Amino acid sequence: MVIVLIAALVIPAVTGTYLILSGRGYRAVPEDNANIISLVASIATALLVIATVMARPVLNQPWLTSLGVRLHFAVDGISAPLLLLTALLSVAVVVHARSRPSHGGSPSTFYGCLQLVELGALATFLARDAVIFYVSFEIVLVPMWVLISRYGDSHDLAARRDASGRFVLYTVLGSTLMLIGILALVQASGTADLDALATLHGAGIARSTQIIIAALLLVGMGIKIPIWPLHTWLPPAHTIAPTAGSVLLAAVLLKMGTYGVVRLAIAPLPLGFGALAPAFATLGVIGIIWGGLACLVENDLKRLIAYSSVAHMGFVVLGLSSGTTVGLQAALFANIAHGVVSALLFFLVGGLKERWGSADIATARAALREVSPRLGVALVVGFAASLGLPGLVGFWGEFLAMYSAWNPAPDRPQGFMRFLVIMAVLGAGVAAAYSLRVLRLIWSGDRTTPAHADARGGEWSVLSVLVAAVLILGVAPGLLLNSTYKDAAAITMEVPR
Amino acid sequence: MSQAVVSVNAGILLPVLAPAVGAAVVLVTDVAVQHLRRAHYVIALVALMVGVVATLAGLGTVAGAARRTLCLPGSGQCMYVADSVSSTLQLAALLAAALTLLLTWPDDKKESPGATAVIVSLVLVATAGATAVAGARDVGSWLVGLELATLPTVALVALRGAHSAISGAVALLTTALVSFGLLALSAALWFTATGSGFLDPGTALASSIDPLRRPILVLAVVVVIAGIGFKLSLVPFHAWTPETYEGAPLPIAAFLAGVSKIAALAALLVVIRAVTPLGSSALAAIAIVSAVSMTLGNIMALRQDGVVRLLAWSTVAQAGWVVLPLAAVSSAAVKASGEYLLAYVLATLLIFAVVAALVQIMGAERARTISQYRGLFGEHPVLASALGLGLLSLAGLPPGFLGLVAKVAALGPVVSSQLWLLAVIAAINAVLGVAVYLRWLLIVISTPDTQAQAAPLGTPDRTAPVAVQTLAATAVRVHPATLVAVGLTAVALVLTSFSPQMLLGFFGG
Repeated sequence: MVIVLIAALVIPAVTGTYLILSGRGYRAVPEDNANIISLVASIATALLVIATVMARPVLNQPWLTSLGVRLHFAVDGISAPLLLLTALLSVAVVVHARSRPSHGGSPSTFYGCLQLVELGALATFLARDAVIFYVSFEIVLVPMWVLISRYGDSHDLAARRDASGRFVLYTVLGSTLMLIGILALVQASGTADLDALATLHGAGIARSTQIIIAALLLVGMGIKIPIWPLHTWLPPAHTIAPTAGSVLLAAVLLKMGTYGVVRLAIAPLPLGFGALAPAFATLGVIGIIWGGLACLVENDLKRLIAYSSVAHMGFVVLGLSSGTTVGLQAALFANIAHGVVSALLFFLVGGLKERWGSADIATARAALREVSPRLGVALVVGFAASLGLPGLVGFWGEFLAMYSAWNPAPDRPQGFMRFLVIMAVLGAGVAAAYSLRVLRLIWSGDRTTPAHADARGGEWSVLSVLVAAVLILGVAPGLLLNSTYKDAAAITMEVPR
Repeated sequence: MSQAVVSVNAGILLPVLAPAVGAAVVLVTDVAVQHLRRAHYVIALVALMVGVVATLAGLGTVAGAARRTLCLPGSGQCMYVADSVSSTLQLAALLAAALTLLLTWPDDKKESPGATAVIVSLVLVATAGATAVAGARDVGSWLVGLELATLPTVALVALRGAHSAISGAVALLTTALVSFGLLALSAALWFTATGSGFLDPGTALASSIDPLRRPILVLAVVVVIAGIGFKLSLVPFHAWTPETYEGAPLPIAAFLAGVSKIAALAALLVVIRAVTPLGSSALAAIAIVSAVSMTLGNIMALRQDGVVRLLAWSTVAQAGWVVLPLAAVSSAAVKASGEYLLAYVLATLLIFAVVAALVQIMGAERARTISQYRGLFGEHPVLASALGLGLLSLAGLPPGFLGLVAKVAALGPVVSSQLWLLAVIAAINAVLGVAVYLRWLLIVISTPDTQAQAAPLGTPDRTAPVAVQTLAATAVRVHPATLVAVGLTAVALVLTSFSPQMLLGFFGG
């Protein structure tokens, strides 16, 4: 069965490389061919990922024997939901991009880059060797940089260069600091195997060393998550990136940061992470409030969703910091929830931007409710989930994160954590305010001019599937929570109830 | 047998002897038969390949299994040791020299025949110096080998005779003389401190614990670092680099970036390995020099528009990365340093080869200016992809996995020794380096200014892959030897990126 796992990585790698090399700059394989090739490839990859998640094969081969690095890939309850999210959204972005001419360069390079981003994300979530995790983490950088700098929305070259440059430089700084942390961790514990690291729980590493290593890792991955104040690369990247890039960036790439925190900091360095957790949670909560306040005044819809991402990732950080199994599960749930909701919103906003010619919400336009009811429904569901309405997917992650931080692990300062929860509740209130503001501005009202087309075909099918996911996971969160419980409890070492 | 003065095993010495003998054969042939041109290159390549084959036995061996020769009968100390690190660096120097020769392969119209023999023999002599210094374990042959690797390059730079070439050669010559002075001084200090001409840990051990002799030994090491700093282009000894690279013919700049750097690092590693008993105190100088080189090199490279100048400043920055692991004292650090150097040399040679091809296609004016690379990916996708792979490898980003793994290897010893500040400076420089190389790559992949170059829309030919068609079109205008050079380096970089262990394994267990 290990062949399934290998194929799930090889197919996007080969397809992506082929498409980029056959792109030949601006003189290209026709748009439709590139789309069909990548559609077939991503559907095949998705099926293989599903098979991998079900069969749980393990690949463990030596790669760099002199550095002790092994090609070690496997699946567990923590990575399985993220793998599925990545594979399914990769199909969705290809479906959504169909019949949308990619401007700025050859279509086949565009699709090739999407494939390579998928490859990097899958490899990151599959990796069970700390150095391979870092290597996979880096794979997404260059293709995403090309997507932003070449295929970005703005016609302004300087803006695209600035956004793509910020993205790649911030991320490289983060990942290199993370690499230093990883090397220190591997050096201190004598193994690069993530399973072994998780089992050791930091045994034999002094508390002070644990704190240094955890700080390096948290700063490094904090840039990727991103946590306040390291988030400043995210809004420009989202604003400029093409729809497919924004979706993958928000829904998949940000999760690599929080996933890394679980694998590399919480599991192997409990003492170090515990010491830094209050500070980490504080930054997360500042992010919740900061992101929410920015959203209250932001008029560019893409930027607004980017800031709301900062706020949502703040809840993930809060859950991670609580040190409890519930908190860990909440963080993992909120990861997926944000993946689904932000993908839905970025697909919507990308479509609206095409129709409107800009993403400015202060301009008077036809109300979505009146002229495009499908887009309207999707928008209402998306923002309702984003503000954490019970019954939708956004609720469970936020609620459980706050619940877990209210009753944190014994070694966390309970009073302070409760104060943070109160602040987070205020932030959730702000989220309600900005969500309703957006709906008031672009959904409600009775203007019907200038009219625009409603969603249909590929766009509507993608949106409706995501709306369904928001509803289903909102009504039945147990689907996800049950699958993560066992592995999350193993990491926090709490006795299973 | 036991009465022999020194034992000589020519087989072990072959990596040094082959290029040296090759140089002599080239010169004799030139005297005997005039107007030969390609024959010299063929002789040289044969000599280099003989050397390559001779190094293979030393690759990937374990620490104790080194092959020695030129040993003294009494003490058993040897003047020449071909262990895995030495053999790997020798192999790299020989291959890099062969690549330089491919890039200088004579065009039918230019150059006088005499110059061909001179260039070829100078390249061979410098290569012999590089391989000699890698194996040398005594101060005398170490010093001679290092200078043999340096002095011919002055002539190679100057040979073109242009004004910029002369000033570049003068800068290099001045540097070489200062460096030689420092190295001679350090040799004297070494002899004073240890009373022995041999560069091995056993010799250094006794004086490293003697409070009177230890400071002299430390001073010797610091002076060595300064002397070799000139050759490796480490700040503050880097000033000659941009001028000389710019003035030299392109293949000679590639030689300076390849063989000369290998020779310099090989010389440094011989000393570093000999002074391991000193511990890290002597090597604090390396940490400072490394941090400053990376930072200044990257910042200056960010501002360059000339291709060769950018590569020169990139050399300065990369030299900082090459010596970075040496701030920690361990055998892993020596290997990491060698690994980083080879990754750097391979990627840089690929870039030089691509630029050389582009000079032939679109003229020196355009090919030597970065801002003129706009739209290259559309015009020459194969060359542009090769260039991109080289740049990403230097930046240490996938798909340049070799550069990425080299970065991991280089940071490893620093982290093990808990030099956190140095590690964080290196992380910041990783970012600066990415900015340097992606700035160039962004221009390469961006669309051209003029819309006129956009091809008419139509169904592409499905019978042959696009890449093959353009390769065929490119081949018409580029010298076959240059294409071979691009192809070989590109294949080597792709293979080692898939499996970096192929390269790491050379350094042995």
